[in-house]
Amino acid sequence: MAREPKPDARSEARLSHTSAMILQAINAGFVYGFSIMEMTGLPSGTVYPAMRRLERDALIRSQWERQSIADAEQRPPRKYYRLTAAGRATLDSSRRRYPLLERLIPSEEAKSV
Amino acid sequence: MMPRLGFAFHAFHLGLLRAASLLAPRPERAEWWREWRSELWHVRRQCAPARIVSLQAEREVTAFCLGAFRDALCLRRQAVKREAPAAASPGAPAQCLLWMALLLAASFALSLLIPGVRTAGEASRYQVNPNLILIQHALSDQQSRASVSFAELNKWRLSPQRSFDQFAFYSIVREKIVTEAGDPQWAVAHASTNLFSVLGLPLRLAESSARNDSNLPAAILGCTTFEREFEGNPRIAGTVLRIGRQFARIAGVAPCGAWRLPGKIDAWLLEPDSELAKGAAGYVVGHLTGFGQSEMFGPSVPITAYESSDVPSDLFGIAIESHVRGPMDLYLFALLLAFLCLPAVTSVSMSEYSFNSHKPSWPRRLGRASFLCAKIALLVPIVYYVPLDVAWWRVPPNSFAPQYIQLIASFLICLFGMRWILLDQRQRCPVCLRRVTHPAQVGHASRTFLSWNGTELICMGGHTLLHVPGLPTSWFGTQRWLYLDASWDFLFAGSSVQKAPL
Repeated sequence: MAREPKPDARSEARLSHTSAMILQAINAGFVYGFSIMEMTGLPSGTVYPAMRRLERDALIRSQWERQSIADAEQRPPRKYYRLTAAGRATLDSSRRRYPLLERLIPSEEAKSV
Repeated sequence: MMPRLGFAFHAFHLGLLRAASLLAPRPERAEWWREWRSELWHVRRQCAPARIVSLQAEREVTAFCLGAFRDALCLRRQAVKREAPAAASPGAPAQCLLWMALLLAASFALSLLIPGVRTAGEASRYQVNPNLILIQHALSDQQSRASVSFAELNKWRLSPQRSFDQFAFYSIVREKIVTEAGDPQWAVAHASTNLFSVLGLPLRLAESSARNDSNLPAAILGCTTFEREFEGNPRIAGTVLRIGRQFARIAGVAPCGAWRLPGKIDAWLLEPDSELAKGAAGYVVGHLTGFGQSEMFGPSVPITAYESSDVPSDLFGIAIESHVRGPMDLYLFALLLAFLCLPAVTSVSMSEYSFNSHKPSWPRRLGRASFLCAKIALLVPIVYYVPLDVAWWRVPPNSFAPQYIQLIASFLICLFGMRWILLDQRQRCPVCLRRVTHPAQVGHASRTFLSWNGTELICMGGHTLLHVPGLPTSWFGTQRWLYLDASWDFLFAGSSVQKAPL
């Protein structure tokens, strides 16, 4: 069984508001790049590099959608992102640091998507 | 019309993404392209519905695509950061080659700056005619003493000769020279007109001076004099110079470092015999005939000359070496000696054994062999330039010490350089070429024949473990590699060095 690598202790302390927003958006169910852009209002040149860094720091993990699902819907498969355990812990501490984060991207909104 | 325009925009956006993909690191490029292409499909579907072309929508899609450049650059920076610690880690192969290349560049640059190195190289390019000897009286105990007068030489020339077919003469006098810059004193060799043709030395600027058909005697400038007094200006060829009380035409420049006869000379004044007869004693150069060559049994030969009075005069001739050993000859000789001596200082065998049946892939084995070749290829020019710099650093001209220093330094650097290369190669991980580190002594020397005793070193990339026996035995004579499998990964979890597949 593959173990999740430990998060870099410094990444939690240095997490910017943008990264925290992206973590919050993924946690809220916006699990691919374009939906995160739409939700946060950030441009693609900010969102995708931020996601690369979060993935490098093992706070999120990516996974390709199954081809059969995409074929059934006649579209290309998407790359989905989800939080790791370390990412969830970091998000919790980021919420304490940025109290408005949950108001900006409430988790309820994700349920309606 | 509209679908065509939409298609054109789509092609433009794909082109932007393709261009951005070139910035992404190659191993991750395919996945990066797949993700962005998929995202573009969804963005286009949401922003620019089919059959309707909106410039506002296309602008949004274009802005989206431009973000791909920042994303690709971010990926590249991450890749560079991942690779940087591996390249900079002590013992990395690139670091080793870089240090050697730096040493080579520094020694080469230094050799360009040291004048002695340049002169030594030029001297070896010229060789005087073979079968020449310097003739002087047997009473003179030193090679540099001028002992033969021109009158004596004239008598020999007039008598029938079996051993010589040509003679040349020169005597050195310090003369005052009158130039535009001043009137320095030069060591001028008053020489017979055939001196340079007997020696077989080519003259520089001889063609341009030949156009001047004046009857003045020809003056040949020394290379150093030409550079020092005339700043190497080729236009001085054919001009008239006052040497002592007479005028002479500059007829050429002697090649640098080519003069191997006695005397340090600033200029040669080629004069007719009538003028030379008035001068002091000097040196005689004779060219041996076939008979004369058969009489030479060593570097010097006694000569008896019978003059008209039938009183024999004792002379001796010293052979003039036609070819001076240049730095390249010494270097090649030292290289040959060092390679012959190499087995005496280290084992030259590169055969290795493995504890398990695993062998590195062909590309990795090829890479390892290429690394060894690259080190040797860098060492070979280092062995040439570093000893040259050491030998000719602040050494007076006409000294033999630099040649000995160069020979010894070339030999030692080549011998111990090759030894280091082979030892270094044996301690390079066959997978990643990094040096194995953290030596650990295992076992007791007193129990060599009963159990394993030696040193173990490990590759920090987590690829291999090297076992080196403390004492070669019949069952464990050479070092062995153990290729580490996945069960060892936990040891290297925190390592900054990325593990490459075996």
